[in-house]
Amino acid sequence: MEWSTWTKETRLHRRTNRKGNANINMIGKMFYNTITCQTFSPCGKYLVAGNIYGQLAVFDLSSLLNPDKDKITADYDKPKRIHNLPKNTGFICSLASSEKFLIVGIDNEIQGWNWKEIHSKPGKVVWRIKIKTSGQCEVNSLWLSDDEEQLYAGCGDNNVYVYNLEDGTLISKYSGHEENQQLISSGEDGLVLLWDMRTGKAENKLKPYKEDKLARPDIGKWIGSVALGDDWIVCGGGPRLALWHLRSLDAVTVFDLPDRGIHVSFFYDDCVVAGGTAKHLYQLSYSGDVRVELPVSSTTVYSAILRTSPNKVLSIAGSSPDIDLCTTFNYRDQVLRFI
Amino acid sequence: MGKSEDTSTKKRRKLNTSSSSDTKLSPVDIYKKVVEFEESESKLRSAEKDSTLFRKISQDVRQLFSDIAELKAKGTEEANEKIKTKRIEASLQLVALKKLNRLEKVRTRTGREALHKEKQRVDSTHLLLQNLLYEADHLNKEVTKCLQFKSKDEEIELVPLEDFYKNAPPEVIRPEITKTDEHQLQLARLEWELRQRRELAGACNELIASKERVGAAIAAARSRLDALVPHLRDVLKATKPLQECLALKLDEKREETKLASLLPPPLFLLYANASAYSDALGTNVITVGISGDEDEARRMDQTCNAEREVVASNDSDSDPDANDEEHREKKKRHHRAPKISKEEKAEAKKREALKKHPLSVLMTVKIADETAVNLTFLYLLHLKIIVVKVTMTYPNTITGVTAADVLTGDCVLNELYLGDTGNDSPHIATSYLLKAAGISDNFRKFIPEIGRPYIWAQRMCGLDFMALVADEHKTAKNVQPCSSLSIATVENFIFTLQNRLKARVKLMKELQDLESGRIVQPKEMSTVKLSGSLTQWQSITWAEYSQAPSTAFLISEGLVSPDYMLYRAIITRQSAKLVALVALSCDYPKQAPIFSLTLHWNGTHHCGTSDDIRDIERVINTDWHSENSNPVTLSIQMAKLLTCLDILLETMGSSEFSPDKVMLEPVLGRTRMRPYKFIKNGTGMFVQF
Repeated sequence: MEWSTWTKETRLHRRTNRKGNANINMIGKMFYNTITCQTFSPCGKYLVAGNIYGQLAVFDLSSLLNPDKDKITADYDKPKRIHNLPKNTGFICSLASSEKFLIVGIDNEIQGWNWKEIHSKPGKVVWRIKIKTSGQCEVNSLWLSDDEEQLYAGCGDNNVYVYNLEDGTLISKYSGHEENQQLISSGEDGLVLLWDMRTGKAENKLKPYKEDKLARPDIGKWIGSVALGDDWIVCGGGPRLALWHLRSLDAVTVFDLPDRGIHVSFFYDDCVVAGGTAKHLYQLSYSGDVRVELPVSSTTVYSAILRTSPNKVLSIAGSSPDIDLCTTFNYRDQVLRFI
Repeated sequence: MGKSEDTSTKKRRKLNTSSSSDTKLSPVDIYKKVVEFEESESKLRSAEKDSTLFRKISQDVRQLFSDIAELKAKGTEEANEKIKTKRIEASLQLVALKKLNRLEKVRTRTGREALHKEKQRVDSTHLLLQNLLYEADHLNKEVTKCLQFKSKDEEIELVPLEDFYKNAPPEVIRPEITKTDEHQLQLARLEWELRQRRELAGACNELIASKERVGAAIAAARSRLDALVPHLRDVLKATKPLQECLALKLDEKREETKLASLLPPPLFLLYANASAYSDALGTNVITVGISGDEDEARRMDQTCNAEREVVASNDSDSDPDANDEEHREKKKRHHRAPKISKEEKAEAKKREALKKHPLSVLMTVKIADETAVNLTFLYLLHLKIIVVKVTMTYPNTITGVTAADVLTGDCVLNELYLGDTGNDSPHIATSYLLKAAGISDNFRKFIPEIGRPYIWAQRMCGLDFMALVADEHKTAKNVQPCSSLSIATVENFIFTLQNRLKARVKLMKELQDLESGRIVQPKEMSTVKLSGSLTQWQSITWAEYSQAPSTAFLISEGLVSPDYMLYRAIITRQSAKLVALVALSCDYPKQAPIFSLTLHWNGTHHCGTSDDIRDIERVINTDWHSENSNPVTLSIQMAKLLTCLDILLETMGSSEFSPDKVMLEPVLGRTRMRPYKFIKNGTGMFVQF
């Protein structure tokens, strides 16, 4: 665990940046902003979004959802605070939220930010976990066990790391101690792996790109998203989105969507929620019917997160500075701007 | 009864005596006397007593008459006797009555007379009173007149009291008197005033005399100088061959300076400042000249100066007759005017409203490679603004349509300063003046005909209409050319225009390259092989640009406007075709070009439908990847675009495109970003960030 501050560094970086652009005016990069990940704070007050420029935007959800009509300003849809990570950080790849910390996954590192200080300036990293690996290893996915003791990180080096959140030690590269728990992972190679956590070995393997009814070779074989339900797996990416039966490992339902790649899919309330390079975010029944088509601002949806308490919010973000907020899950209520 | 008898007898006696005493006098005298007597008697006796007496006597008479009547009735002797006596008695009584009657008459008359007299007296007194009142009134008036009289001395402005006491000599002041006596003080001050004025008048006369003397001396000197002129002309004529021999342009300069004095003030300011810069910077940067109808200008100048009667030059003295003739002719034309048709009238009106000064300033700004902008500055006399016409000179012909377009005059000058398109008059009063001249058309309609009223042109001529807006006290007529503004603007303009020209020449060369399909790669990326080729480069209209689906986002965010220069580039590599719509700001290269891409391969992809295209646009359009502040030029961006296209196609995993570039990871992260960033590491490789 490391303690450090980098406020000064950030400021210096900004100044040189401005100086460098003195003679040429280019379009602000924020017009091409891509939001890769989002998370809600445990208190439900804040929505945090991370983008490819290494910026964290904090939106004040409570005031956005219950606007005080007298106090609405022109920039009400802008972030309340933007934290700039050091310039060489690269993407912010993933975000997760524990009771105390905002967990930020970047290149080769996982950072913990204190939720209490998230809206204040400057942002402060409370702890850091370095991922010890050779070469580049961005933390593409973060998942926290229900007891908030173990942090699962799906990384760019095709490994899943498990860390103890108490002291930041690496518990396992593949497996944990829980019994009867399965872990599922997917990646660029087009494989979906089901891990047995006790043995730390891949229990089963799916190859959607090999299935004729799923394959879309012009888009690729990569799997953008996979989710595990009680009896079902939903996955998609270059191949079409499909519902697989966990026991038989057959693609039971193929969802015929007009997308150019799936990046988001998860189970919610007997539905499959899926999005990607398409004009809509879909809510689908297991039988393959489209229940809701939710128009989105992004070219590609990279992150869709929802919560039901204290109020229902679905937040959709991707390759656009705009974040779509839905409170009913049926239509777009508000558009936030990460600019 | 006895008493009355007594009185009556007495009367009788008296009457008798009086009559007896006056018997010897003449009848007139007697009458007079009687009258006098009776008058005095009437005065003495009281009227009341007479009245009672009269009543008593008349009672007696009545008694007597009744007695007589009684007696007559008896008709006896005795009675007759008695009647006789009674008759006498009655007669006497009647006499008394008569007397009384006369007395009364007299009394009445005297009373009347007295009354009349009294009346007359009162009348005369009243008249006297009126006279006196009138006189008093008149006198009063006279008095007030006197009081109101104003003496001449009150109008004279006197030296203030303190100054008087300070400066006047003591014999005038006489403080012992003047301090106490106001009148004496006034007199003293008047005296002092008189003395002083006399002195001053004397001084004035002296000065006038000396002025006349000086005037005469000047006239003498002038006539001597005038005599000198022909000699000098001869000298000049004599030096001409020498000048030609030495290739000096002294004469031309002199001519031009003479012309410059005829320029309207704003153009003169421009000419003066620009020629100063021309001297300082050299003629290979800026040259200035004057063109136009000199005679016309001279006439205009003279009509302007007519009231001032300034002796300007010999030329103006020599041909006043010609001028008069010209005037007459003009008048004649004016008379004929009402006969012409309506259209012609409107045309004439327009010509009058948009009338230019006959002289114009020519300015040529050059850069090193001899590309030059020729600007003609014209002054609109009625609208009081400057308009500019522009032509270009190129050292060698430009191949390529789009390349030539960026060097046309209007294109070079468009938005030389931010927002200054020259599409409308900068002077707020223009539309009003046009309306007043009876022209309903907007000023914009005339711009193609007369030239563009750029704001910098106004400022170069020292006209600042913005200041006018700020300062509302001035009226439109009082826009005075401000020389400091002109100086500052001229310098700025020369360098701005040079920079713009240089940029445009550079751009022209870049466009020439692009049109011939040549891509110039930046040095550090020279090792990278470009597999795609630029097959087409042409300019497009705003309508075409805005209809493309890929540009919707740029337009809605306000990043590209119709003022931009728009091009379409088509890049092909095998079956893939990339259409790039390029928007170039007038300010290029200060503003980087903006690319909008559409890829035709396996369907149609643009930034609204494909993240890969959006990623390429991000790399090319934004400063995200370029840490060093290298100039971002069109050709560098084009080279980058081709590189990005290669990388995208090669990382697609299609066998059609063989990968020949070194990349660490073909895709990275959940966004599946391609490695568009080049780092010079060995032969160079591509990374995501």
